[in-house]
Amino acid sequence: MGNFDGILSGLQLALSIEGILFVLLGVMAGTFIGMMPGLGPISAIAIMIPLTYSMDPTIALVLMAGVYYGAVFGGSTSSILLNAPGIAGTVATSFDGYPMAQKGQAGKALAIAAIASFTGGTVSVVLLMLFAPLLSSVAIVFGPPEYFALMILGLTAISSLSDGSTVKALIAAVVGIMAVTIGIDSQTGTARFTFNNPNLLEGIDFLVVALGLFALAEICNLIINRKDKIKGNENIGSLKLSKSDYKEMAGPMTRQSFLGFILGVLPGAGATIASFIGYITEKKIAKNPEEWGKGAVKGIAAPETANNAATSGAFVPLLSLGIPGSGTTAVLLGALLVLDVQPGPLLITDRPELFWGVIISMYVGNIFLLVLNLPLIPYIAKVLAIPRPLLISLVIMFSMIGVYSISFNTFDLYMLLAFGVLGYFMRLFSFPAAPLILAFILGGMMENSFRQSMTIANNDLSIFFTRPIAVSLLGVALLAFVVPLWQAVRSRRKSKMSS
Amino acid sequence: MLKAPHRKVSLVLMAIAAFYLYLAFQLPSFMNSIIDSDTLPKVLGVLLIVLSLILFFMPDNETPEQKEKRNIPKSDAFMLIGTFLLILVYIFFLEILGFILVSMLFIFICSLFLGYKKHVTNAIVAVLFPVSLYLIFTQLLGISLPSGILPI
Repeated sequence: MGNFDGILSGLQLALSIEGILFVLLGVMAGTFIGMMPGLGPISAIAIMIPLTYSMDPTIALVLMAGVYYGAVFGGSTSSILLNAPGIAGTVATSFDGYPMAQKGQAGKALAIAAIASFTGGTVSVVLLMLFAPLLSSVAIVFGPPEYFALMILGLTAISSLSDGSTVKALIAAVVGIMAVTIGIDSQTGTARFTFNNPNLLEGIDFLVVALGLFALAEICNLIINRKDKIKGNENIGSLKLSKSDYKEMAGPMTRQSFLGFILGVLPGAGATIASFIGYITEKKIAKNPEEWGKGAVKGIAAPETANNAATSGAFVPLLSLGIPGSGTTAVLLGALLVLDVQPGPLLITDRPELFWGVIISMYVGNIFLLVLNLPLIPYIAKVLAIPRPLLISLVIMFSMIGVYSISFNTFDLYMLLAFGVLGYFMRLFSFPAAPLILAFILGGMMENSFRQSMTIANNDLSIFFTRPIAVSLLGVALLAFVVPLWQAVRSRRKSKMSS
Repeated sequence: MLKAPHRKVSLVLMAIAAFYLYLAFQLPSFMNSIIDSDTLPKVLGVLLIVLSLILFFMPDNETPEQKEKRNIPKSDAFMLIGTFLLILVYIFFLEILGFILVSMLFIFICSLFLGYKKHVTNAIVAVLFPVSLYLIFTQLLGISLPSGILPI
């Protein structure tokens, strides 16, 4: 089927009643959960996964993608109104969004965020449409060695780019792969690390890890902050923007749509880093940097464009290579695997309706988000006043029932609780959780592609060094791994010298 | 020397890695397979030990904010442990009492425990959500949830 037919079948699905209904449901759920400080997009997606089990895979992905970019869109609302970012990707929005709201112009700040998000989201979907097919046509010649190299690159990139300590991120990744080695080894049939427990033979389900490490661990923080009184801004002021506001926003929105998209495509970066880089670069080239931090229009437009552009950008490696570049897309990949869809370079030819259906639904979703966020935002923001105790018990119940409905086994629920405790302790000791879930999902694929490579090469490791694409990918991965370690050693020397 | 929290964490990780490696060496091997099932685990175990060692000897680069996170007031710790125990009870009774009943009780008691005072609202939410979720799962999605002692 040519691209054109594929696009048509995608249009048909995305614009069907079901398609429109579920993208609306997805973006609304995403907006709500994204707004709640403490609950991030990974929790949002993981909570929705059980609902998709019996769905058509395209509709399921339409729904989950909607939750993802809806959460990034909605996260800005609490950044602006409460100075409590709903998700990490909208922290930079609060730098100027909150001061503007303090001046009584909350409505203006929300409108800027909504328009910038819409622009970033829509421009990057166009770019996604152009680049994903291109990348998959390149990747179609990839064999197991190239895939192995790609996965190593994805893992090291997320580790080196995640905040704080590289070593901690790498440890999280190794623990993630260790967790996936539990169960029967698919190639030899050996039961690994099962402690003779029949419940562990099939391994640990990724939803247990995702909901535990994210939803339950985030709940722990909500419990601690349960008394934070949220005073709803009764009067958010006018949503109208002046002509000069639009003029001011045009520059950052154009630049950050492209920059954000590129950062989203790169493994490891994603919405959070894109929003910070967007904020910093625009501040550097601004004529009035002293206004920044006090409610600058551009200071809201730049991070909001960048984070939404990065969100669609993250779909490029997921849809065209089948390799997730972030924790969130890793959870999406896990959800697709449950639905028997194997994303990769063949997806666009084998399942064109899914590939194009999801992309087209993103245009629809962004329009919904704009409509939802502009006139309705004062009403939607009321969600923020949901009493925390109720929210906490409901999220716990959703997580429990989500896991139970895949295995019908209470053993998995105890595992879920254990991963919740692990996730909470990781947060206490500043270990990032995203590398763990990414490694958990990539781990099994990585071991398989390594074994396949070695079988092709008759047990000769040189296969990774004689194929040009594989060796260059591994080279980049090595750099991503060594450079931060070297920097750490150097900063240690410096701190020793100074003390 | 062991006072720094990252050093304690590093020691725990090393213990885990050693245990994992010990188990990896117990795995049976097959002569005919090129990459056996114990290869990756052995690599992972060694990698975790190396990374924990690096963590041990790294300077403590946590920000004061990150350290502050570990200062949990006693009342909050009590809430965390209490919720944890409530979840354990929920799991234990899920298949015995059934999803609807146990979820209703859980939502009401957990919200109450966390300090929610509007009992009527609490009761309405505690009834409404489990019942509608039960209907969505069993009727729309075709996933059966434990009905327990309720005659449904």
